[in-house]
Amino acid sequence: MSANETPVPANANGRVRTERSFIRFSIGQRWEHGLFLLSFTVLLLTGLPQKFRTAGWSQYILSTPERLETIQTIHHIAAIFLLAEALYHVSRATVRLFQRRLNGEMLPVVQDVRDGIKMLRWLLFIDREKPSFGKFTFEQKFTYWFFIFGTTIMIFSGLLIWFPVLFTRWLPGGIIPAAKLAHSAEAIAAAIFVVMWHSYHVHIERLNLSIFTGRLSEKEMREFHVREYTRLTGEPASPPDGESE
Amino acid sequence: MTPTRRYLSPLLLIGLALLSAFVLAAPAFADEGPQQPRLQESECLGCHTQPDLEVELASGEILPLTIDSERLAGSIHERIGISCDSCHPEITGYPHPPLDYTTRRDLSRAFYLTCRTCHASNYVNSLDSIHADIAAAGHSEAPVCTDCHGAHYTQFPDEPRALISETCGQCHTEIYASYKDSVHGSALIDQDNPDVPVCTDCHGVHNIQDPRTALFRIESPELCAGCHADPVLMAKYGFDSNVYSLYSISWHGVDVEVYKANWPTIWHESAVCTDCHGVHDILPASNPDSTVSPQHLLATCQQCHPNAGPNWTGAWTGHNKISLERTPLVYYTNIFYSSFVPFVLVLAAGYVLLRIIRATVERVRRNLP
Repeated sequence: MSANETPVPANANGRVRTERSFIRFSIGQRWEHGLFLLSFTVLLLTGLPQKFRTAGWSQYILSTPERLETIQTIHHIAAIFLLAEALYHVSRATVRLFQRRLNGEMLPVVQDVRDGIKMLRWLLFIDREKPSFGKFTFEQKFTYWFFIFGTTIMIFSGLLIWFPVLFTRWLPGGIIPAAKLAHSAEAIAAAIFVVMWHSYHVHIERLNLSIFTGRLSEKEMREFHVREYTRLTGEPASPPDGESE
Repeated sequence: MTPTRRYLSPLLLIGLALLSAFVLAAPAFADEGPQQPRLQESECLGCHTQPDLEVELASGEILPLTIDSERLAGSIHERIGISCDSCHPEITGYPHPPLDYTTRRDLSRAFYLTCRTCHASNYVNSLDSIHADIAAAGHSEAPVCTDCHGAHYTQFPDEPRALISETCGQCHTEIYASYKDSVHGSALIDQDNPDVPVCTDCHGVHNIQDPRTALFRIESPELCAGCHADPVLMAKYGFDSNVYSLYSISWHGVDVEVYKANWPTIWHESAVCTDCHGVHDILPASNPDSTVSPQHLLATCQQCHPNAGPNWTGAWTGHNKISLERTPLVYYTNIFYSSFVPFVLVLAAGYVLLRIIRATVERVRRNLP
């Protein structure tokens, strides 16, 4: 990823402050996130009323058998989109990894465990210095792998309960109720994770819209991705003015 | 019986008051015109015990008029002093008024109405039954009181209890035949078992409803649960009384619960008890001929899941709690998620909380002079 320098207008005369921004996500990655976000939301919204079918609020939504059918159809359509996105993502990543066009920084390594421990030490006021990260912070990598795990479970368990007769031709029958249980429980885990963990990190800690805009400002780069900033610019990423302790 | 008892004492008082009023007013009534002399039963039987006493109706049908006085003496009505004229009030002497009925069935359908004079509530209930509906649709063979209870030789309908089902079996012959061999029917007929259901336990007595409706179907698991969810009754036979509660959280059961709560009159396909176990021909699951025995279970599933293969039956968690022996996959999945979901919750909540605390402290520190 290269720093993208905006040419400074000749007549700016110091009144115009230019802010460098860094490309963080490609247009394809941004579309992938959009598709995932959309299908995830639709799946959650159409799945929860089915999970809690005996609850009053669910029966308010699923007020007729036809509505139940409609919501199941929507769920299945969204599932196809999610499946397509997951297949595209995994196959593209695999191919690019083997072509050495992907540096593999997203793969889990021992350093992540160390980063996690460091982060925890900082959070518990044991360490004074906030640990520095590369392009992806420990939390962002954790989010990524949590979704990889969750999506894998949801896709396999979802397909099993969508086509139970087909799969039990080869698989033991007991896998169907197990898949139903897993689909139901993993959905709750994912919902909790998105609502608490992910929305804290991208909305409350700071509004991070880089997955939509594709760019991250220099200020944010220096604050949150110190190692990446240094790698790209060769400059030390001492925190911006006024932010230092 | 408790609601009736509440009304008994005021009724008794009113009855006593009326009785005393009649006794006091008796001399005044005595003079009012010649009273109709009551026809004595012995007078009726004088003719009606003669063999071959009969009359030909307009249709050419022969109506036998001979009464078996011995059997009549044994009937419940006779034992409490109800005599001929109570049910045949139109007959006050001889010759009798002419019988204006074309067929014997016409006569039965007219004469049974006399039952309602005493058995009003049962009569009203019977008007609400499928039997009344099919009679209204023009099928005069639909049963009336006397078809089930008899006319002259009425006995208690449940002595012995097996008599109830036998009575229904007079018309419902095929169903009775399969019921007779079922776990319920055989226990009833062979052992006079007081716990197994007879026809009326599931179908009702006088207000019998059409069992082929969506409503009957959706409510039928509750009907089975009436006995099969009763821990005391089931313990007597060594059965598990959790079958219904476990069913109602199963795939099929949840569907049924939702339909029952919201759309009880809309037909639904999710399996109810009888779809798998049979209706009148229910056999114990341990019986190899049972529809849910290991030999027949797949075929039973295939009624609704036609392409299911042999592994399919393993998908049925049955009326059993999750256990390692029966359903290991579900067992381990359940263990994993019953700790994983709380773990994610604690992790996400705890981590975010720590971050908020840390961020707040940082901010306060920065703003300190």
